[in-house]
Amino acid sequence: MQSRPPPSSRRSGARTNAWLGGLTVVFLALGAFFLANGGGRITPRPNIPLVDAKFLETTPWRRTYADMVKDKEDLSDYDCYACHEKNKPPPIRYDADQKIIIPKEHKDIVMGHGSHDRNNLCYNCHNEQNLATLQVRDGREVKFDNIPALCGSCHGPNLRDWEAGAHGRTSGYWNRSLGAMDRLSCANCHNPHSPRIPTREPAPAPHPLRAVAAAEPETLH
Amino acid sequence: MPLPDTTTDKTSDAAMSRRSFLRGTAAFGGLTALAASLSPLFELKDFTSAEQFMQKYYKEMTPADMAKVIKRIEGDVERQYGLRPHVRDYKPMDGVEFVYCLNLTRCIGCRKCVHACVNENNQSRNPEIQYIRVLKLPHGSLDVEKADQNYAPESVPEPGFFYMPVQCQQCRNPPCVKVCPVHATWQETDGITVIDYDWCIGCRYCEAACPYFARRFNFAKPEIPKERLNPNMSYLGNRPRKQGVMEKCHFCIQRTRAGRYPACLEVCPVGARKFGNILDPESEVSYILREKRVFIQLKEEMGTSPRFYYYFDK
Repeated sequence: MQSRPPPSSRRSGARTNAWLGGLTVVFLALGAFFLANGGGRITPRPNIPLVDAKFLETTPWRRTYADMVKDKEDLSDYDCYACHEKNKPPPIRYDADQKIIIPKEHKDIVMGHGSHDRNNLCYNCHNEQNLATLQVRDGREVKFDNIPALCGSCHGPNLRDWEAGAHGRTSGYWNRSLGAMDRLSCANCHNPHSPRIPTREPAPAPHPLRAVAAAEPETLH
Repeated sequence: MPLPDTTTDKTSDAAMSRRSFLRGTAAFGGLTALAASLSPLFELKDFTSAEQFMQKYYKEMTPADMAKVIKRIEGDVERQYGLRPHVRDYKPMDGVEFVYCLNLTRCIGCRKCVHACVNENNQSRNPEIQYIRVLKLPHGSLDVEKADQNYAPESVPEPGFFYMPVQCQQCRNPPCVKVCPVHATWQETDGITVIDYDWCIGCRYCEAACPYFARRFNFAKPEIPKERLNPNMSYLGNRPRKQGVMEKCHFCIQRTRAGRYPACLEVCPVGARKFGNILDPESEVSYILREKRVFIQLKEEMGTSPRFYYYFDK
């Protein structure tokens, strides 16, 4: 008892103890905080539904006659002379506004080729002598599976761009030495009777994470 | 002042004095508290393996090193997703420089390219990471400040607007490469700016440097459903990323360096996207740059000289 440390070192020892005690308290508090989940785990993210697989489809939205021939599909719809008579071009009727009257047998056709309904003569493209083929306006006959030649007879610049690969989609291999390319045909995208590409549903926009959190505040806690 | 004698209780045969007992208890308590306070560390998973930690820089790897790395990645992916991927390190081809052309007359803003890209390149679904942003702009203006990327009408295109998809422009003078402090991103000879996800430290300097907001950061661990995982992977391309690294469009390296078109082009319903080798005068992109009204490289004044061109048909 007589050999107690001198007062200065006793004071520093007390300070050390105070530090250690303080740190212990801090650590205990932190430990309790974490164990009690005080900091909160990461807020669960709002559930983002997977995008509908239809938006990942690469198949063109229309099938052409050539596609159907290639896939050996039922072509009975294209058998014109099952109903029409040979060597007797079907008449085309117009109403008072010079609009074409679509017969009920062809009700699926919506005629909208060209502005102001001016291109409304079927035989501009269909061959009235042989309904199973098409014709260019100078009289050349065109098969149903070779329509770019027909469309290009009026839409020259588009045919030029298409042939160069700049109009319409070209898929497959850009490097033709490694694989084949596949160029879509006019009717894969354009309906020949109303060629303007219809509007469509867009794929979902980027998910607004924050906006949803604000709309459903209970998901925050 | 004499203190009461508590330290040496000669009468007790206890080996431990009261003071040392208190000290021991305090030390034990302190250590317990320290351990408890470090408990969040238990939540750290996916430690970088020693093998990955010791991995060499991409450009210094020998083919044998790369084979080992690819084996490790295939193992990692299989463990994580239960699906054996096919990882390759595709090298640039000689005499090839990739260029992308996008036809603004044709684009209808359907965003199919966005999701085809996500699907092809194994991007995180939650949180969402998308390389392509489709901007909706009013006719007669090219002010991207007026653009809207969150449009969600029932059908597109909307009258009075046009759509401009923006993704990595694969600049000839890329600012993102200049700022990278660890050379984890660089431009390859075929023009693709790539990222080595194992070398990236996640500082996000490149994200700040990019004038096109083309780079994305994995703030959270990416989530990819197993059934949507694309098993055809490349080291610099679409292999799954980890939390804390950057990623961006790489022109679908795993497709284009194998001679195929990128996924965003294959899904475009109007053929607005054109891709090819600019060094080949017969390619579509050469024809477009020669014949078409190619009007911008986006933000041309930045001097980045993108390999991504926007053009009009008429």
